[in-house]
Amino acid sequence: MSYVLAKSQNDDILKAGECGGAVTSILKYLLDEGIVDGVLAISPCDDVYDGIPTFVTNSEDLINTAGSYHCAPTMIGGLVQKYFFDKKVAVTAKPCDMRAIEELIVRHKINKDNIYVIGLNCGGTVSPVSGRKMIDRFYEADPDDVVSEEIDKGKFIIELADGSEEAVKIHDLENEGYGRRTNCQRCDVKIPRKANIACGNWGAEDGWTFIEINDEKGQELIDGAKKAGILETKSPADAAVQGREKVEGIMINMAKKVQNAIYPTVSEMDEWSRCISCYACRDVCPICWCFENCELNKPYFKDVQNIPPSPIAFQGVRLSHMSFSCVDCGQCDDVCPMDIPVSLIFDKLQKKYFDRTGYVAGVSDDVKPPLYSPEKTEL
Amino acid sequence: MLEIKHTLCPSCSVGCGINVILNDGEIVGTFPYKRHPVNAGKNCLNGRTSIESYQNKFQTALVSNSETDTEKAIGDVLKELNSVDASDVTVICSGNNSVEECKAIKEFGESKNYNIAFYADNLKDFGEVASYDDIENAASVFVIGDLLYENPLIGRRIVHAKQNDAKIYALGKSDKSVTFNIADEVATGSVQEFLDSNSANIEESSVIVFNYVDGQEDLEKLENANCKVLPVFSKSNSKGAFSVVDAKSEEEMIELLDNTKVLLVFNDDVVNDIDYDFTKISKIISFAPCENDTTAISNIVIPIKTWLENDGSFVNAMGESQAFSAVVESDVLSEIEIIEKLNG
Repeated sequence: MSYVLAKSQNDDILKAGECGGAVTSILKYLLDEGIVDGVLAISPCDDVYDGIPTFVTNSEDLINTAGSYHCAPTMIGGLVQKYFFDKKVAVTAKPCDMRAIEELIVRHKINKDNIYVIGLNCGGTVSPVSGRKMIDRFYEADPDDVVSEEIDKGKFIIELADGSEEAVKIHDLENEGYGRRTNCQRCDVKIPRKANIACGNWGAEDGWTFIEINDEKGQELIDGAKKAGILETKSPADAAVQGREKVEGIMINMAKKVQNAIYPTVSEMDEWSRCISCYACRDVCPICWCFENCELNKPYFKDVQNIPPSPIAFQGVRLSHMSFSCVDCGQCDDVCPMDIPVSLIFDKLQKKYFDRTGYVAGVSDDVKPPLYSPEKTEL
Repeated sequence: MLEIKHTLCPSCSVGCGINVILNDGEIVGTFPYKRHPVNAGKNCLNGRTSIESYQNKFQTALVSNSETDTEKAIGDVLKELNSVDASDVTVICSGNNSVEECKAIKEFGESKNYNIAFYADNLKDFGEVASYDDIENAASVFVIGDLLYENPLIGRRIVHAKQNDAKIYALGKSDKSVTFNIADEVATGSVQEFLDSNSANIEESSVIVFNYVDGQEDLEKLENANCKVLPVFSKSNSKGAFSVVDAKSEEEMIELLDNTKVLLVFNDDVVNDIDYDFTKISKIISFAPCENDTTAISNIVIPIKTWLENDGSFVNAMGESQAFSAVVESDVLSEIEIIEKLNG
């Protein structure tokens, strides 16, 4: 592992990028050199709250993906698995995206040799509809006037079209039921270290991106982009590295506090009582890759007369089958029509599994979860 | 090349947004549309499988169950229409049609002096209705039908009302109702009994949400309720169709069908909706994107664009108009283009 500060040598990218434009520049290098067939990144569709995964094959279009979109709680693991197995792609990935990608690599559903992962440090994401309500309620601004947003130093900051900014403490927003998605509040993986590189502004000087180089492929990316003349780098000062560690440590401690407070409060059976067995949680789960052949689709689990559905027959089976691999991305919460906190229930059990085995889904270096390995007999 | 595009869900009248995934121009899946204010990225199973109507769409026109060129089939439709008196022809408009299509269908029917019918689950237009936010903020919610199971994105608002300390009263057709799981009080009798027994509990701050009634007298009772009501229809644009065509009750529909020799069905499944012996009708002509119970017994079937291939607007249950654009190009004729051809 090594660190660099990086800055784009392209003026347009430097202007559009979040902090130095290194991410967009590295993606441009990969496309221009023909190293990848395309780039899967997030770009705003209707407005800044409407970030959607976009596949870019022309590097001139990458400018539309520059910047950060905290109100775009997307997940790209499933898309990579379903549509890009045979393609050389580069992706931008939050820690939960990366954890999903890693779990899918372990399951041979993503070819590690075909993918370049540009990791993005993440302090959390905000649901777009809730985010707009939050801005309407806690800020002086009209949500439609927001042109960009940022999470920094414990505040959710919005920038308006006239260049002015407003900031409110995330703690205050979350006390009122707004702010980051609940899974993000308890997420204790803030830097995607399984990615080839992990980028962000923590510890960075203004106008520079702080990059943690996690493997050989990551080093090749930096070296290649520099050689191509699109990236400038320098070594960060020790104080910058320590500053970044401090930010990460504070955020992890905050997450642990949330975990300790919230795990005891969830009542699985009460929450499951409103499950309608629509399978949205399963179908959106990036780790549940086999849903077309899923046992839960078998006739013995599909009794159309069985309304209301038995929670154990769906949620219970799925929990026992998948919880140890939960990456806590919160997609299941996001899509559940009944607002069941599915990820909370799964994450709570994953943490118990961690306590017994030390396995963290998408983070641990084990090839497979212990329940799939010879260690199973010891558990 | 992967693309993700916005559209609306056509599965019921709630008006949820949904993203579709295109891979090399083919629609291959759905993706959560989290920015959409109605459903925030949540879709029920019907919504997520709604793209099947595109994947299973008719490839050709059918005349007497034989594949035929669309132009020839339209010619056959004209022959059938010219062979009977205008008063023997009934045109079925549907909540599956966009507002623009409803207007074209109405104009076509009126210009030819055909009967025009529109059926909306035996319900009616209540004009100003409760919004989805009204449900969440109500002091009590009276739920007629298993809204949690059948219209989950309205069901979600009822769950929110419950979380906001509203009292939930639920009426179901049987005791197997998911809505009962969150209700404070449940009943399985008639709608009249439910409304009568709760008359003292229904206050100005209440909301009544329903997706069925037993009869027309229930509609009168609901119309006279001292609180906001929200009828939830089974089709995406029933509320919008009301603004164009008057809806008929099941009884009125049956009376009209009894006097029909040629039935033109525009994107509807009237055979599934109404308990009637459709073999009594000489000719049934369907304009539909994919197979349903009505096309199965139709003499002529003309393929039409699915909503994914079309532009238009739907009005959701609470009265909000939402425009949608084609997410994929298509050579299939739209209903409006077919009507232009029928008009000559």
